[in-house]
Amino acid sequence: MPSIPAADPFSHYAPIGVLLLMAAAFGLGNLLLTSIIGPSRHGKIKGMVYESGMNPIGSAKRRFNVRFYIVAMSFLVFDVEIVFLYPWAITFPSLAPDSELAPWFLGRMLFFVLTTLIAYAYAWRKGVFRYD
Amino acid sequence: MSAQFITSVVTLVVIAKLIMVSCAYLILLERKVAAWTQDRIGPNRVGLSFGVLPIRHHCWGAGQPLADGIKLFLKEDYTPPGVDRGLFLLAPVIVVVPAMLGWAVIPWGGYLGWGDSVLHVTAAPIHIGVIYMLAIGSLAVYGVVLGGYASNNKYSFLGGLRATAQMLSYEIPQGLCVLTVILMHGSARADMLVNFQANAVWNAVYQPVLAVIFFTCILAECNRAPFDLAEAEQELVGGYHTEYSSMKWALFFMGEYMHMITGAAFFTLLFLGGWDLPLLSEPLVGGIALVLLKTGVFIGKVALLLFLMIWIRWTLPRFRFDQLMRLAWRGLIPITLLVMLMTGVMVFLQQPAWVALVGNGLIALLAVWLGPRIPQGAAINRRVPLPGSRFCPPKPVNPTS
Repeated sequence: MPSIPAADPFSHYAPIGVLLLMAAAFGLGNLLLTSIIGPSRHGKIKGMVYESGMNPIGSAKRRFNVRFYIVAMSFLVFDVEIVFLYPWAITFPSLAPDSELAPWFLGRMLFFVLTTLIAYAYAWRKGVFRYD
Repeated sequence: MSAQFITSVVTLVVIAKLIMVSCAYLILLERKVAAWTQDRIGPNRVGLSFGVLPIRHHCWGAGQPLADGIKLFLKEDYTPPGVDRGLFLLAPVIVVVPAMLGWAVIPWGGYLGWGDSVLHVTAAPIHIGVIYMLAIGSLAVYGVVLGGYASNNKYSFLGGLRATAQMLSYEIPQGLCVLTVILMHGSARADMLVNFQANAVWNAVYQPVLAVIFFTCILAECNRAPFDLAEAEQELVGGYHTEYSSMKWALFFMGEYMHMITGAAFFTLLFLGGWDLPLLSEPLVGGIALVLLKTGVFIGKVALLLFLMIWIRWTLPRFRFDQLMRLAWRGLIPITLLVMLMTGVMVFLQQPAWVALVGNGLIALLAVWLGPRIPQGAAINRRVPLPGSRFCPPKPVNPTS
């Protein structure tokens, strides 16, 4: 396979800025246009929170089930692990075939995954992954 | 102003316009496919004449997206008084922008030979292409969460919570899938991943289990059925966009479809070989005709995947919330971890790539056999036996009455 050179850094990242501007203009422009074009009428009943026709009881900003917090915590454990594995995944296949480093690279990754697996098994036994 | 930058911006503008138009027609396609699935005809009243032009044919409802767009603009853009105004206005934009940003790194048409230089037909040919796509894709969670939180509505709040839990859970197997593909080829550049597949066999052949899991994760990430818990009409009215109206609601809607397109393109580039057609060996670098052809092939694959997504939506029933979370945490995450470890050992032992196929089959068999045999762990929820709830013991039947 011929090696294809990557472009220079400016050409790398500048188009993302252009696309970001386009996307933001698209979103904000739509919001602006619809608020100009559409009608606007207000009323006391119209401003009420929709709760299937009942008068709303209390505010919506209330306490929620703690299991959502646990989901966020276990997400952090796994996601941070994956983030640390990306550099490894990119460098590991490009090591020399009979390099002395290869067993070390594999062993470190296995140890790293093992620590996460211990956390996973603990969470499983504690019933973190039960949502019924 | 290098030649690469000009190519990038031209690609960007063409693709952005193309996707925006196809996004509108995707909604029409969705309604048509729904109609075919349910043995109806579907929208066919709005032709292209709009009462002005002399076109008598109904054009199979081709004017419907335009009519819908005009209608949505003319609707009232109502902001209820109780909401958190800034976040309420910002949330739809936060949903749409990441979905659009994902298109930047997709290698639509390979490389363009221009003079003696090689130009990428990609908006942003960056080194960390696929990791960028993952990072940007997960930003869309914020739009959904903020939309649900700022609405000051209980339905929206519950929908936002569910959507967060779902998107977070399915991001982990998705990230592990991408990690395994990177591990197979040793590069995170999107164009290089496509080149490797074009020179050998598509990744979907070597890693079928991974491909299926990745497709599932895409469906869950863009809140499509059977994972559309966040907007389950029967339970939550509209979910996180209950309080939204007019174009703000349409932005949420378009965000979903743009996410579908981005996700399908991501799948194509990781597992279906990008612009590559099987049994044909295209030159890597070519003129404008070849680039257009490759772009056509890429878009064709994306269109097929989009059709598959719509087909799934109108065929499969919705998951329950505990089934959804169980699938992610007890099913997909251990399987993807196993596939990742297997691929790591395979790369270490310098095995050929078809070993991955055998490993995938073994892991699938192991998962099917072992899955129901692992104990469940303690229940964290207390079951209160309220009369009438599903945890209440059944009443003894009185034989005399």
